[in-house]
Amino acid sequence: MKLQPRQQLLEVWEAAARTSLRDGVWTWGGRDGSNSISDAEQLLCFMHPASELPGFRLDAPDETADDVLTALSRLGDSVEIPKLLLKVIGEYLRTYTGDDGRPLFSGGTYFSTADPDVKVTPEQMQLDVVDSFSMSVTLMLGTLGFLKVFRQSVRREDIRKEIRELENMSNTRLSAAMVGLLRSFTVNAFDPGSPAGRALLRTVNQTGAAERRVLDDLRRELRPVRAGLRDLTIGSGSEVDLDNENLLFECGWTWGIVKDAPDVVTPLHVGPQPKGVAADNPFLYFTVNALVGVQDLWSERTRILGLLDDDQLTLAQALQRRWDITQRYWRTIAMYGKGTWPLEDIPWKTSDEKESEYYSLGVTAMVVQSLVNNRTGDVDLGRVADVLEELAIRARIIRRAVPGDLPVLMHSPGVQVNLQGSDSLGPHMVWVVSDFAITLLKRTIWAASIAQNTRTREKLLSLADRIWRHIMQRRGTEGVGRGLWDQPANVFTDLDAHHEEPSWYFSERVVEFLVAAAQASGDSPLRSPQLVDFAYQMLSEAEHLLDQELVTRPLITGQTIQPKLRSIQAALNRARLIISSRPATANALVIDALLDLERLTTARDSASEAI
Amino acid sequence: MLIFAISDKGGTGRSVTSTNIVYRHALQGNDVCYLDFDFGSPTAGAIFSVGSVARGTTRKGLHDYLLGEGAPEPHRVDVWTESDREGLRTKPPGAGRLVLLPGNEGGGELPAVEEETLRRCVQLFSRLDEEFDLVMVDVSAGRSFTAEMVLQATVRLPSVPFRWLVFHRWTRQHIIAADGLVTGADGLLDAGTRFGHKRDALRDRIRFVRTAVLEPDAAELVGLRDEQRAWLFACDTELRELASRHKVGRTSMLGKIPLDPILQWREQLISDEDVLASKIANAETAAAFDDLAKKIVDDAAWEGL
Repeated sequence: MKLQPRQQLLEVWEAAARTSLRDGVWTWGGRDGSNSISDAEQLLCFMHPASELPGFRLDAPDETADDVLTALSRLGDSVEIPKLLLKVIGEYLRTYTGDDGRPLFSGGTYFSTADPDVKVTPEQMQLDVVDSFSMSVTLMLGTLGFLKVFRQSVRREDIRKEIRELENMSNTRLSAAMVGLLRSFTVNAFDPGSPAGRALLRTVNQTGAAERRVLDDLRRELRPVRAGLRDLTIGSGSEVDLDNENLLFECGWTWGIVKDAPDVVTPLHVGPQPKGVAADNPFLYFTVNALVGVQDLWSERTRILGLLDDDQLTLAQALQRRWDITQRYWRTIAMYGKGTWPLEDIPWKTSDEKESEYYSLGVTAMVVQSLVNNRTGDVDLGRVADVLEELAIRARIIRRAVPGDLPVLMHSPGVQVNLQGSDSLGPHMVWVVSDFAITLLKRTIWAASIAQNTRTREKLLSLADRIWRHIMQRRGTEGVGRGLWDQPANVFTDLDAHHEEPSWYFSERVVEFLVAAAQASGDSPLRSPQLVDFAYQMLSEAEHLLDQELVTRPLITGQTIQPKLRSIQAALNRARLIISSRPATANALVIDALLDLERLTTARDSASEAI
Repeated sequence: MLIFAISDKGGTGRSVTSTNIVYRHALQGNDVCYLDFDFGSPTAGAIFSVGSVARGTTRKGLHDYLLGEGAPEPHRVDVWTESDREGLRTKPPGAGRLVLLPGNEGGGELPAVEEETLRRCVQLFSRLDEEFDLVMVDVSAGRSFTAEMVLQATVRLPSVPFRWLVFHRWTRQHIIAADGLVTGADGLLDAGTRFGHKRDALRDRIRFVRTAVLEPDAAELVGLRDEQRAWLFACDTELRELASRHKVGRTSMLGKIPLDPILQWREQLISDEDVLASKIANAETAAAFDDLAKKIVDDAAWEGL
């Protein structure tokens, strides 16, 4: 099944519109109920493509594409669609704002406990969670951009007023999400001899070198990270003592606001800052989640549209520093040493001695990101490609699962992450993550988009195609959730769980992937210098032959060159024009011209054969 | 309600579209009348296939009435009884009245707007508005004294609702010109404001109608080469951007009429027989007229952003 992002996205939009608008009423929540994350995911299914892809814009009713309108016809026409979006975004923002004006980022129905008989307490349900911060950053930036453009086509005062109000609320929510992220960042320092220290050393030491040397070397490698962490001022994670060079450490995001996290001082209106309960050590899953979300804060679109004000920029900068440091820390660990990378030693083992392919997948995100930034050669990317393929095999995505296969549990019900610290308010909570397949696909297409080498790229793309086939099979085919995800039982015969409602959690990630794929296909094709060179050589032969043809042909007064020759000339001119951007196409033009020229020559040769 | 049909340039299909709209509106059960204010070339009679007034009337037409040349009432033509077309001669059951007020044969554009002319125009509008559900006034192309007169007349009739339809073809020049006609110097908005209309309120009463639109995916284009179609599609996208820049885009458009061969060769009413029995007209065209005839009085369609 070849990936066709535009068609697929339109199909998803049609399905999402049908599922969201039932009997003319907007319906929140899917399989896992309505909460601040799921509702944001539902909105992002529409807002993400609309804000990232020019062909999917909804903010300028005059320019909305016809196929987009057809796909969303259930939501109304080009004018009604943005009006409906205004309404539901308003609903979302008002629902998730507390009485004291504080934006709420509660995990709600996404929280659960390891024991199905034990219920999460209402107090626990209200806890803010990093997933929600991250999702809100993306959604609010999308919303602000949407409002900014949509405002230009509105003249009615009542709509303009609503737009202003939504802008204020979105800005508040965005600021609060950034504050939340700053208060859930954590640095965990430990002794090399502690269990955490031993686990970290085991992970990095892939060659069995002497521990002392590894330790010294690691300290040296991490020195810039340590220095960066020491300079952090606002938010959590800044009060850990890193001056003791003997200690090892790890940094990243925990699952919610850190216990006893200090308030972030900011002139921005974000309401009272809640107390946290989360354990003060980084979780790989939430770290990756936060890293992906906050990136939007300094994306090109955010800068061009000027979506952040000065005070928000201060917060964004503080986050960017954490982003850089965390990225660098994990990349250093993942690609440590000269032999096998720790990343290649699947599954990844965390410092609290948990092992899962999920963690390996999380670490690849940071490695790929660092490859993007550092323009490292394709050799490194090739190694990452192998890791991705291995993960796809181990997770039974591109291999058939046999009965009783354990990796299937990773897709359904998913991997449980223990939310340490949550037990201070009730039973021990867990966070279930089941987006392995789609996240793997996102990484794969991302890696493919930066590959310079045709073979690596082909390899990654063919892997992406195979994972995509798996994802497509998991799409719902009946019920209200048809056309959306996720029905793992379609693929894994072991499972018999069938869901009526769609999972916005999974569907939104599919949309994110499709958007990334559509963006990647907009880039110009990969060209090798050899191909360009070859095309030039072909072109020069063709041009030479054409010149010859023009010289030998007798010129009759009043007559320009023959139409045939003129069309050959036009083709060659065109070829020269596009040769550096599309060498293969230029080559095809040249070949066609060469054939035409050859026919003329053959004809002349046969004329001279007469006796 | 008064509807004023105007276009930026000649040959946009303003008359043929607006006559078809009133015809459809009548079929939908409303009493409608059509005023041929295109004094330079009063040819509405030809479109309604009323032979006796094909090039305007020789009796007391709208000219005589407005210029006060001895006509207390302009000449009226009942299309359902006087049309030469067999299909139009009998009023379909349930349809409303369909009356044409032709201009004078051999008349000319208004030389200026005199107070007396204006007074008569106001009187005519007010009378007709009471009698009919919809009064379509075909104002000639471009800026004219006629347009100024009706703008002034509507100021004096605050209780009579009115709307403007600006017809333009789907080409670069027409899009720019249509915008110019409305927002340009001395355009409808300028002139209207000068005569006492509120600019924003007037703007809300103006909508565009695209005529002779060739959609890139239309059935007529099946015979085209792929290259031609790719080119057409790119042109259409460009026009769309242009239209949006000139505020002639989808939000300010009331409807569009597809290109139909029958309208290219002969300006006429498209009846259901033309679509269903003889099949000389496209069903899409009739549907577009029908849709416009409904939207023209539908407040939701005029609400806008």
